[in-house]
Amino acid sequence: MSHIHLDVEKLNFSYESGTPVISDLTFHASEHEAVGIIGANGAGKSTFLKLLLGLNLNFTGSIRVEEIPLEKKTLPQIREKIGYVFQDSDSQLFMTTVGEDVAFAPRNYGLPEEEVERRVLAALEKVHISHLRDKSIFKLSGGEKKLASLATILSTSPDMIFLDEPSVALDPKNRRNLIHVLNEFEHLKLIASHDLDFIWDTCSRVVLLSQGQIAADGTPEQILTNQALLEENGLELPLSLTVRENRTPG
Amino acid sequence: MSKIGQAISEIQTLENISREDRWVNRLHPLGKLVLTVFYITVTVSFPKYELAGLAGMLLYPLAVFTVADLSFGDALRRLRVVLPLVMIMGILNPFFDREILLTIGRVPISGGVISMLTLMVKAVLTVLAGYLLIATTPMDEICRAMRVIHIPKIFVIVVLLIYRYVTVFLSEARRITQAYELRAPKQRGVHYKVWGSLLGQMLLRSMDRANDIYESMQLRGFDGNFRLGKKAALRPADFLWPVLWALVILALRLFPVVELIGRIFV
Amino acid sequence: MHMADALVAPVVAGTMYAASAGAAGYSIYKVRQEDNQKKIPVMGVMGAFVFAAQMINFTIPGTGSSGHLCGGMMLSALLGPWGGFLTMIGVLLIQCLFFADGGLLALGCNVWNMAFYGCFVGSLLIWRPIMKKGASRLKIILASVLGCVLTLQMGAFSVTLETMLSGVTELPFKTFVAAMQPIHLAIGLVEGLITAAVLLFVNEARPELLWGVGEASKKEGKLSFGWTIGILGVLALLIGGGLSLAASSLPDGLEWAIARVTGLEELETAEAVIYAGAEKVQSTTSFLPDYAFKGSESAVGTTVSGIVGALIVVAVMVGSAFLFRYFRHKKKQS
Repeated sequence: MSHIHLDVEKLNFSYESGTPVISDLTFHASEHEAVGIIGANGAGKSTFLKLLLGLNLNFTGSIRVEEIPLEKKTLPQIREKIGYVFQDSDSQLFMTTVGEDVAFAPRNYGLPEEEVERRVLAALEKVHISHLRDKSIFKLSGGEKKLASLATILSTSPDMIFLDEPSVALDPKNRRNLIHVLNEFEHLKLIASHDLDFIWDTCSRVVLLSQGQIAADGTPEQILTNQALLEENGLELPLSLTVRENRTPG
Repeated sequence: MSKIGQAISEIQTLENISREDRWVNRLHPLGKLVLTVFYITVTVSFPKYELAGLAGMLLYPLAVFTVADLSFGDALRRLRVVLPLVMIMGILNPFFDREILLTIGRVPISGGVISMLTLMVKAVLTVLAGYLLIATTPMDEICRAMRVIHIPKIFVIVVLLIYRYVTVFLSEARRITQAYELRAPKQRGVHYKVWGSLLGQMLLRSMDRANDIYESMQLRGFDGNFRLGKKAALRPADFLWPVLWALVILALRLFPVVELIGRIFV
Repeated sequence: MHMADALVAPVVAGTMYAASAGAAGYSIYKVRQEDNQKKIPVMGVMGAFVFAAQMINFTIPGTGSSGHLCGGMMLSALLGPWGGFLTMIGVLLIQCLFFADGGLLALGCNVWNMAFYGCFVGSLLIWRPIMKKGASRLKIILASVLGCVLTLQMGAFSVTLETMLSGVTELPFKTFVAAMQPIHLAIGLVEGLITAAVLLFVNEARPELLWGVGEASKKEGKLSFGWTIGILGVLALLIGGGLSLAASSLPDGLEWAIARVTGLEELETAEAVIYAGAEKVQSTTSFLPDYAFKGSESAVGTTVSGIVGALIVVAVMVGSAFLFRYFRHKKKQS
C-alpha cells in the first residue's frame, strides 16, 4: 500500500444542539482514488470534509491521515498534507493578487523566497493560469477564481485534495477546464458535490451519504446509474446518462 | 449608474490603470508615497494670499500626468467629493475680508477673493497629487511601502483585507439594494422598518465569510504571523525620482520663481 | 464629514497625525494583547462591510432625504474600541486613496474626528457602561443614538477647530460652529437610529457577536473613571453648545452658551483666544518661511508681476503639456 491513505473509523459528530450530523461512519481511501461524495442537502458532506481537516475537533472515533491521528497537536503536520478548495472562491482567496495568494501557504511553511517563487510558478502552471499571476483577484472571472483557488493549495504539493462543490457557478467551458485540471492530479481526491455529471467525469469511486452514514459505496457505474437508489436519497440520475438512455433505441 | 455601481467601477478603473506597464508605475512605491505627501504638505503650506506662487506648483502634477499619459478628466472628477466642503469654507472669504490687495486695471481685488482662489487651487492640486499616487501604484504596493517604513503588520494586513473585500461587499450591497428597489419602486431609499434586517442579514453573512477566510488561512498554515514577500531592491531611478522632484518643489516654495518670471514682462 | 487636504495647515495636520498615531499604536498593542488570530480576518471583512454599508441610502421617515450607517459606533460595538479603531483607519485610508474622500495629509484629522471619537468615546464611555449589565432593546437604542450624536458633535467641533487653526477660512468662529453643530445633531440622530436597528438585529440573531455586553466591571480601573468624567465634561460642553444654539431664541445663542460654559465674560475674549491661537499656529507652521527674497514686496502673491508671472507660467506649462501629448499621439498613429 502506498503511503498516501486516509482512514476514518466509527466517526461521530453532532452540533451543540445535539442533532447528530455524522454517525458511526467508517471510510478508507488511498492514493490514485478520486472519491465523489454525494448526498442530499444536510446529508453531512461538507461537515465530513471539514472534520477531516480538523476544523472541528469535537468528534468521537478516529481519523488518521497517513497513520497520523488527527488531534490538536498534529494539525499543522496534517494540514500540510491536505489541500482544501472552498465552495466560495472569494473566501478562499483573501490576498490582493493571484501570485500573493498562491505564495501564502509556502511562505507560512517557512520556505525560502526563491523556493516560494518556484512553487508559485509551478502551481500556476499546473492549472494553466501562469498569465494571471499579477492580476487582482477581484478582476478574475468565476472560472479563473476556481483555478486560482486550486493553485493556492497545489503550491504546497499536498498528498490529497478535498473540494467542496467545485462546479457551482461555472459555465460549461470553465467546467470542462476544471475537470481536465482535476484529472491531472494523481494523488487522492475527495469531491463533495451535487453535480453528479461532474462526479461522473472526475471520480473513480462514489460514496453516497445519507443522514451522516454511508448509504452506498461503489464505482460510478454502480451508483450513478442506480436510479432507485439515487431517488431514494433525494438525487437524480446524471443528466448525461438520462440523455444517453433516451437516445438508446428500444 | 447607482452610487454603489459608480464606486465599484471607480475602484476597478484605478486598479487597471495602476497595473499598466508605465515607467512611473514601476518606480518603488515608497518614493512615490513620500513624494506625494511632501508635495501636498508644501502645497498647503503656501500662505493664503500666495496665489501666484501656488501657480508654479502645477508643474509637478501637470508634468507627470502628461509624461505618464494619465487622464486629467478622471482626476478632476474626484474633486466633486472635496469641493463642496472647500467651497463652504472659502466662498464667504470675499465677504469677510474686503481689504483691497491689488488693482488690475481698474478692478480692485480684495484679499478675500485671493484667499478663496488660493483655497480652490490648493484643493485642485492636492486632489491631482493624490490621484497621481493611486493611479500609478497598486494598493498592495502602497501597503508594501507602509511595511518598509515599519507601519505595524497587523494594520497593513487589515487594510489589504478591507481592500480585497470592498468590491465583494459593494457588489453584494448593490444586489441587495437592487432587489429592494425592484420590490419597492417608489421609495428613494430603504424604508425604516427594514433598516435593521437588511443590513443585519448582510452583516451576519459577512461574519460567516470572515469565518471561512479564517479557516482558509488556517488550512494554509497561518499561525498568527502574516508573511509578506519581499520587494526587489531599489534602483537608482527609484531614489532619484522623488529626490529631484522634492528639490524642484522646494525651490518653487522657497523662491518667488513665478514672480521673477512675471517681472521680465512687466 | 471628511476634511480635505486643502483645508489643513501642515502643523495642524501633523499634530492630528501624531495624536491619531498614538491612539493607533495603543490599539495595536491592545489587539496584540488579545492574541486572537481570528480577529485579523474579522477586522478586514467588517471594514469592507462598513465601507459598503455606508453607501446604502436609508430613507428618513417624513422627509425626502436619507441617512447612512455610523461606521465607528458600529465597528466598535462588534470589534471593541481597539479593533474598531484600526479597522476604521483602514476604511478612511481606502476612501481617501480611491475616492479622494479626505486626503493623505488630512488623514490624521479624519481619523481623529471620525474614528477616535466614534470608537474610543463611543464604545468605552457610552457603549460599555450602558451594556455592563447585559443588553436590551432600549439600551442598544440608547447607546447607539447617544453615541452617534455625541461623537458626531465632537467630530464636527473638531472639524471647525482644525479649519480655524489652519487659517484657511474667514468665517467667524461662531458662524461656523452655528452651522456645523445643529446639522450634525440631526445627522447623528439618524445615523444613531440606523446603527441601532442593525445592532438590534444582531442582538436577536447572534448576540454573542456584540462586544462588551455583560462585562460586569471586570477590571474597571480608577483611571478610566477619571477619564470618563473628563471626557463627559467636554461632551457636555459641546452638546451644550450645539443644543443651546439650535434651540435658543436669543439673538446670539452661541455667545451666551460659550460665555456660560467657558466662564469667559465676553465672547470676544473667547474668539480672540482662538484667533490668537490660529495666528500663532500660522507663524510657527510655515515650516517653510515666507518669502524673504531681497527686493520683493512682502506679499508676493498679490503683486501685479506675481499675477502676470502666474499666468505666464501656467500658460507655458499647459501649452507644453498639450504639445507633448499631441506629438506623442501623432507618433503612435504613424
